[in-house]
Amino acid sequence: MTYSTIKKPLLIAAAVFATSLFLASCASTTPTCDSPQTRNLNAAIDNVQASLMNGCHTHFDRYYDDLLKIAEGEPKAENKREFSEFLVWSAGNGLLSQRQAEDYYNRFFNVKFMSMRGDYNNCSHTCPNKQKVLFDMERELSDKERGLLKVSRDADSYYRADQLYQEVELVLEATCSACSAGR
Amino acid sequence: MKNSVSRTTLYLNIVALALLLSHSASASSPTINLFPTTVVEDLRQTGNVARDMETGLQEVIGRLDQQQELYLESKCDGAENDSGCQRLARQIGATYLEMLTIMEERLPDMEHTVNNTRNSLEKGLRNELGRKMTPWKLQETLVGTTASKTQTQIAPTLRGRSGMRLSERFKQYYTLVATSGAKGDQSLAVLASDIYLDMEETSLLIQRTRQEIARATLMEQLNQSFGIITPEMIEVVGGVKSILFGDEEAAALVAGPPPGSIEQAYRSPLEQ
Repeated sequence: MTYSTIKKPLLIAAAVFATSLFLASCASTTPTCDSPQTRNLNAAIDNVQASLMNGCHTHFDRYYDDLLKIAEGEPKAENKREFSEFLVWSAGNGLLSQRQAEDYYNRFFNVKFMSMRGDYNNCSHTCPNKQKVLFDMERELSDKERGLLKVSRDADSYYRADQLYQEVELVLEATCSACSAGR
Repeated sequence: MKNSVSRTTLYLNIVALALLLSHSASASSPTINLFPTTVVEDLRQTGNVARDMETGLQEVIGRLDQQQELYLESKCDGAENDSGCQRLARQIGATYLEMLTIMEERLPDMEHTVNNTRNSLEKGLRNELGRKMTPWKLQETLVGTTASKTQTQIAPTLRGRSGMRLSERFKQYYTLVATSGAKGDQSLAVLASDIYLDMEETSLLIQRTRQEIARATLMEQLNQSFGIITPEMIEVVGGVKSILFGDEEAAALVAGPPPGSIEQAYRSPLEQ
């Protein structure tokens, strides 16, 4: 009798202790998905990569923006490579598709405009949506300003992108006018 | 008709040079056929007509300037009843009529050749850039596969309707065409677009001008009886002068990008 009366509370206590240990261990592995605190791009990328692999992949857009902000603090040509390698790593680890990785990179670091992608000819596809295409290009140009000018300090490429935007605007105006005259 | 009369002369030279230079570049790169021989011929004709008109108008406008100067020096402004001033005003009116007559004579030819040029370019743009290309291909054509950043620095700002001084425009177009040969199709696409839009605008303005000339001629014939200089006359002469000599308030060129190193440029495997 004495043995059983002692054993029961002990068992309860052990169960409570085990449950608290289990809960405590769960709490310590829940990802917080915080933004990187360092101002060093390489360290920040390491930090972000760890977070992404630790269940924070849904925060990819915010992390990318965080990394751009950090890179703006120390703009240099090599940053372009860092972002490319980060995106290649992201695609390699299944966080992004290859196409998404290309979009992320080219939208910020390439002279050419992703907004000008399309599988149909200009008369049938681009001209009816000319205003939207130009509006999207304008928005993309501001991303290029960030990626090329503020992050990579590549003024040449940014000015070329700006010039390309103006050329596209002019050529589309003429081409679309010619397309509509031929109807 | 603003900026159109003299510009056509430029286009003739530009396109001739463009063709010459694009021929030299064609060995290495595929070309888009935006300037077939018909366009060159149309531009040549337009250029001839425009040159004739320019020459005639320049002389008449020079005379108008002198007469207006004399009118002002003689303090005729406000002394319209003075018989000497009336005689001067009639002389100015007669020269003004002469200017309108020259324009009336030359404009139908101009309109015809401008429309031909516009139609030829329209067909080329529609087929080559509109129907044969996707937006991505068009962009790649404009960027050019071999264009270096140094070359883009050289390329002038292209705006066919900016109204800058004639000599300056010529210099800019010449530079553009001179570099377009090395860069391939991208400059030709921009050039063709620019000329086409300009021709379209020119054609409309010629139509309107022709409608106005008949009315202005009648009005001036009436004014001749009274020896009056109307504000309209001065305005029209000012407009024609800006066509020939350009607009002083032309926009400043956008500053070129700071020099950068092309060799150091990084190329990502993700880049398209």
